[in-house]
Amino acid sequence: MFRVGRTLGLLILALTGQALASSSLFYVEAMAVAGYSSAAKKVILYSRQLEESMQKPSLGFDDILRLSKETGDFALVAVQGRVALNADGDKRYELQLYNAYIKFKSAAGDLWLGHDRPELGLSSVLDSHGTLLQPLDMNGFGFDRDWGLGVKKDLAWGGLGFALTSGSGMPLRLKGNYLFSGRVFRGILERDNYSVGFSAAAGRVLDMMGYTLLSPNPLPFAVAGLDISWLSNNLENRFDLMAGEKDRKQALALLWRVGLNLLPENRLKVEIQPVFWKVGEDSFFRLGAGLSFLANADITLRAMYEHDGNTRDDRLVLQFYYYKRLTVH
Amino acid sequence: MFIKKTSAFSLLLLAVALRLFSAVGCDLNDPDRDVKWLFPESTSCKTVYVSIAEKGGQALLRQVEERLGDNFKGLYETADVPYTMYLIYKGPELIGYIHGVNQKGRYGGIQVFLALDNQGVIRGFYFQKLTSRSAKELRRPEFGRQFVGLSLKEFYEYDPVAGRAPASSRVTAIKNPAPEAEDDFQSSLRALKKNLILVDEFLLGNKYLSAFKPRGPAEDRP
Repeated sequence: MFRVGRTLGLLILALTGQALASSSLFYVEAMAVAGYSSAAKKVILYSRQLEESMQKPSLGFDDILRLSKETGDFALVAVQGRVALNADGDKRYELQLYNAYIKFKSAAGDLWLGHDRPELGLSSVLDSHGTLLQPLDMNGFGFDRDWGLGVKKDLAWGGLGFALTSGSGMPLRLKGNYLFSGRVFRGILERDNYSVGFSAAAGRVLDMMGYTLLSPNPLPFAVAGLDISWLSNNLENRFDLMAGEKDRKQALALLWRVGLNLLPENRLKVEIQPVFWKVGEDSFFRLGAGLSFLANADITLRAMYEHDGNTRDDRLVLQFYYYKRLTVH
Repeated sequence: MFIKKTSAFSLLLLAVALRLFSAVGCDLNDPDRDVKWLFPESTSCKTVYVSIAEKGGQALLRQVEERLGDNFKGLYETADVPYTMYLIYKGPELIGYIHGVNQKGRYGGIQVFLALDNQGVIRGFYFQKLTSRSAKELRRPEFGRQFVGLSLKEFYEYDPVAGRAPASSRVTAIKNPAPEAEDDFQSSLRALKKNLILVDEFLLGNKYLSAFKPRGPAEDRP
């Protein structure tokens, strides 16, 4: 059976020579995405841009494996990937890798190696790999995932994390690029109904859009950020602010996402998300509105309207999203 | 790209073609922090994943519903849901368990976690997730302390459909600190009973099954 996490885990067990056990979850993911773009004046099979990884029709998996000694866990292996359809692209299929890391547990914190989230803003805590509305990393401020290593430590009042990554996002490309990032936060959203994070990142990053390299050389990048999330009854608010320099130009980015949960079990969610960012003299504005409906435990139906102020593109996108557990061991 | 796209696509299709079950679990936000808080004397924690579907399928689901006194319903209650259970150790000795369940609340899902000793007796109760105007009252330690020392034996007396237990029951003595959030309070009790049953089924070898007195088929309930 195709079990990437399990295979990696067993390899680690063999290499470490330890008599260990494992417990794992394996999910399958499938999505259909289609929409209409007023700028392209045609039906599109992606949610934002063809070069972006998210979202396109795709088929994927999510594998989580915990490695344990007789009296406790010592590591977690996570591998999450998909094959996406590029209906209009040169390469018809694109292999996308999201999670691809091993995380070791220790008293000092969790150390991860591989492809995981850098520590910058809301992107470091939101799982957006299946959603239509996207945080600031999809607007050139940080990365959804990046290759490297990091450490995370959760504390009674919140937590902190640091990462040293490649600054290349989805693919691992080394052209003198790197990114240091760190975030400290107060409040656990699920427990305290709020979380406030301060983060900073600096380095030389590649200008990437998904797996597409937009600029041949790494760009200097340094930002500081404030992110706030809070829940109040069925209302959710998320706010993300970043300021600094990108490619030696002053840069500012601002996102606000307000969501309203409706119906029993929060089956229906309505969200509005204005995003503004400015780099040097160039400014951008994007307004998104989303509907999300949990049809059952495995199927989510989403719709998004997004207005791009610069390209004057209005897009209406529909998504069928299926995420189902296949096995538990 | 490590694998040619055609072979990757084939492997994915193969993965999809194999076994079929479903999702939505309830994990500790941060096991290291939470385990130390609930079991300060612990030295390590081991995670196991289980599901009703894989242990006993629909027959086991009916047994669990019978013990609960209510039918499973909604997104968070299906036989396919994987439960994440934490085994707590002090050195080589197993000293207890932590387990959380999802439950429908007034404002979406709530998550009720229990810390149990190795005999299934409650030593800690807390909400990991609870969005409510009364969250502050329900999250107070005094509320959680009312459950300490109770086990499934006492919670068998609680009827989650009627939302009550016999007057003499220790469950009846549990006070709701937020009368305006009676629905969330009742949801908590139901979640707690469900939690205890699942731990008994998956970790305690049905230690408390002998104390259960059947009340009638699950199909008869609303």
